[in-house]
Amino acid sequence: MSEQITVFIVDDDEEVRSSLKLLIESVGLETETYDSAQSYLDSFDGSRAGCLILDVRMKGMSGLTLQEQLSKEPICPPIIIITGHGDVQMAVRAVKAGASEFLEKPFNEQELLDSIHVAIERDAEQRGRASRLAEIQSKVDNLTDREKEVMELIVTGMQNKNIASELHISQSTVEAHRSKVMDKMEARTLSDLMRMIISLKPM
Amino acid sequence: MLLLTINGLAYAEEPFIKIGVLSHRGDAFTVNAWSPTARYLTNQLPDYDFEIIPLDFDKVDNAVKQDEVDFILVNPGIYVNLEYKYRVSRLATMHNLRGEEAYKVFGGVIFTRKDRKDIQTLEDLNGKSFMAVDSTSLGGFQMAWRELQAKGIDPYKDFTKLEFGGIHDRVVRSVINGEVDAGTVRTDILERMSNNAGLDLDQVRIINPQTDINFPFRLSTRLYPEWPFSKLQKTSDELAKKVALALFAMPKDHPAALAGSYAVWDLPLDYQQVHELFQELRLPPYDVIGKFTVRDVVQKYWYWGLAALLILLGMGVLTSAVVRRNKRLKRIQLRMERHYERLLDSVGDGIYGVDLNGDCTFVNRGMEKITGWKADELIGKNQHEILHHTHADGSNFPANDCPVYRTSNDSKPRFINDDVFWKSDGTSMSVEYSCTPIKGPRNTTIGSVVVFRDITERELVKKKTTEHQLQLFHVARLSTLGEMASGIAHELNQPLTVINNYSRACIRMLGSKDKSAEGKLKEGQSTEDQCAEVMEKISKQAERAGAVIKQIRHFVNKDLPDKKPVKVSQMLNVVLELTHMEIERRQVDLHLDIDESVNWVLAQDTQIEQVMINLVRNAVEAMEDIPEEQRNLIIKTENQHDGKLKFSISDSGTGIDKEVLEQLFDPFVTTKEQGMGLGLSISQGIIETHDDKIIIEDNVDGGVSFSFKLPIIKASKLEMENNKRNANNKEVT
Repeated sequence: MSEQITVFIVDDDEEVRSSLKLLIESVGLETETYDSAQSYLDSFDGSRAGCLILDVRMKGMSGLTLQEQLSKEPICPPIIIITGHGDVQMAVRAVKAGASEFLEKPFNEQELLDSIHVAIERDAEQRGRASRLAEIQSKVDNLTDREKEVMELIVTGMQNKNIASELHISQSTVEAHRSKVMDKMEARTLSDLMRMIISLKPM
Repeated sequence: MLLLTINGLAYAEEPFIKIGVLSHRGDAFTVNAWSPTARYLTNQLPDYDFEIIPLDFDKVDNAVKQDEVDFILVNPGIYVNLEYKYRVSRLATMHNLRGEEAYKVFGGVIFTRKDRKDIQTLEDLNGKSFMAVDSTSLGGFQMAWRELQAKGIDPYKDFTKLEFGGIHDRVVRSVINGEVDAGTVRTDILERMSNNAGLDLDQVRIINPQTDINFPFRLSTRLYPEWPFSKLQKTSDELAKKVALALFAMPKDHPAALAGSYAVWDLPLDYQQVHELFQELRLPPYDVIGKFTVRDVVQKYWYWGLAALLILLGMGVLTSAVVRRNKRLKRIQLRMERHYERLLDSVGDGIYGVDLNGDCTFVNRGMEKITGWKADELIGKNQHEILHHTHADGSNFPANDCPVYRTSNDSKPRFINDDVFWKSDGTSMSVEYSCTPIKGPRNTTIGSVVVFRDITERELVKKKTTEHQLQLFHVARLSTLGEMASGIAHELNQPLTVINNYSRACIRMLGSKDKSAEGKLKEGQSTEDQCAEVMEKISKQAERAGAVIKQIRHFVNKDLPDKKPVKVSQMLNVVLELTHMEIERRQVDLHLDIDESVNWVLAQDTQIEQVMINLVRNAVEAMEDIPEEQRNLIIKTENQHDGKLKFSISDSGTGIDKEVLEQLFDPFVTTKEQGMGLGLSISQGIIETHDDKIIIEDNVDGGVSFSFKLPIIKASKLEMENNKRNANNKEVT
């Protein structure tokens, strides 16, 4: 996972593209520009951190279509929609579909830069949580099936003897599994374990 | 033998010469008395054989008329008739034998008894009884009648009694016996009776006695020639001459003369006296002419008189009817004239007549009212100098160019729809008028008539209508622009956004000059250099925004009504500039198919741009419901090679429903939720002011095409002008 943060700019107007590039680079951010939604999609790499500045109205694939495509990916950079006058309805649709911000042309440059920062933070946040969950998942994946069964019941708050009777095993066996799970999951307390497991559940 | 034959032939040709003789004493007597004369002539002229044809009084006329005889011997009275009617001409006059003497003339004697003291003159005979020989007897009545009539006595009325005794002796005896107051007989009768019948000449008094030294007998009348020997018209002059010479050569006492009781033949006398007698007495052949009194007419021709009277009466009636009708016609004519005058006067248009000199001959009231000129200020005056002297623009109007004169000169009617007449108050008015030649007799032009109308009001209304139309076009254009506002805003937003980005970037770059780590400057380039480069870009963007605004301003400009040469590419630029956002927004593929050979057309450019923008927007909207990849817009220009350039705008949409098609150009008809539905109706209006119509056609491969045509202007004419304009006015693309 790269630490490099990139601001992706997708606009079919060359001048808009280059002016955005210059502006964003002037605050020390890396940029990559694309002249169409398709060209961005072609080189899309979900692992790359940053944010996407997207013009709604473009020749060929529109900004909204690109947004729709990206939403199918497991992870994608937050999207900042820029729009001309009269495209407000489109912008609303975009935001509902998960865009982080929409800006109406001509926009205040500070507004844009703020939006970029918010988006990058959000991206970082989303990328941090994702890596934590991946860690927990890999720990879970290390558990034996019996250990997973025991853990499922532990996080519901069930007592050992109840677990034993549920699984038709002895209470001492339950205790042995429990200590293995706590070990493998690197959980110090039961509440640690419970937080980890809950975070894995789909929201 | 041969000679005989020739003679025989000559005889055969003219064997018998017939001499008609009046048979007043019976045919046998006549033949006996005159045959010796015929024999004499045959002896004298052996080539001919003369014979006597006796003719009764009533046969003479017909025999001459039918050319049954060659010569005719009749008394002077009959001769005069034949001369008059059949052109017989006398050859010789017979000299009558009276005792021992021969007389070629004779007359009449009027007498009474010597003891009638009351009868001294002809006038004295008025109211007396009278006896004559016969009504047709020349010497025994007619000669006396002529003398009586000369004295105002009409023997048929003024005598108490008029008797005809039949023979001379009886007339004499009746007078002597006192049976009648007076009588008349031929000259020499009294003398002869004195010799033969014991008449005592002292017993008679001759009334109106005449004396002639060559005529020994008692006489009361003028003398008249004796019987003439005449030829018919058909009888050859040569024969007539031979006959006349033979007669003249007859010696006195020749047996033939004795048989005929005459003395000799001599040169023919003048028979004028006889003619005059008949004329005066109105006897045949002069019975139908000459002086006559109404009474004569009534008496003699009462039936003709009656007919004449009836005819006169009829004519009188007719005449009075004609006179009455004439009067009526005159009244009608007057009424018609007044009617025409009233008609002319009631017409609102001005009407006046012009003669060949260009002077007014008449004017109607309308003319006076419209122009302010009075009839007497116009009639007889030169109309061009009064009405027409100056053009609307103030320049002189030469009389030779005046359509009224030209119509008078070439007899061709004219209609002028934009001219001015000058009113009496010195102002002018717009007029339309017709000049029609007036034809005189023999179809020659004698002038012209001008009918005119003051169209000042109409011109004003027309101008206002045009203004309103232009305003409508303008308002519609503004409305279109409003509908396109978001697209146009985008067109402006784009450069503004870029400008904003660049300038902010510059500010940041300059602010972080010292902390170069923050800025991502290009290698080997100073901040200032980079900013300058960016500023250049900013300027370009400002120009781009300015261009859009310029197009908008051009588009919202008030219409100049005049058409002028405009560049096709320039109009297309405006259209594309203002519509490309809409085209792109709807993912429409634009194809331009421009005929590069035509650069200039005659048009009002903003209006044509308006039409094309409307058509482009309609086309784009028409393709809303089809998949994006099938949306094709074609803007095409095509040289029609008839001096016109065809502009067409085609879409690939689903076409137009028939019901919609019918009312497509009606105002306020729209299938769109937005918009007034004025676009097409206005567009059609604009194209109509460019003398064409928008045509809608279905495309072969779906969708429809809207097209119109504009006149092409040849480039060569305009190149210089164009170059000038380009120098002043940089073309924007």
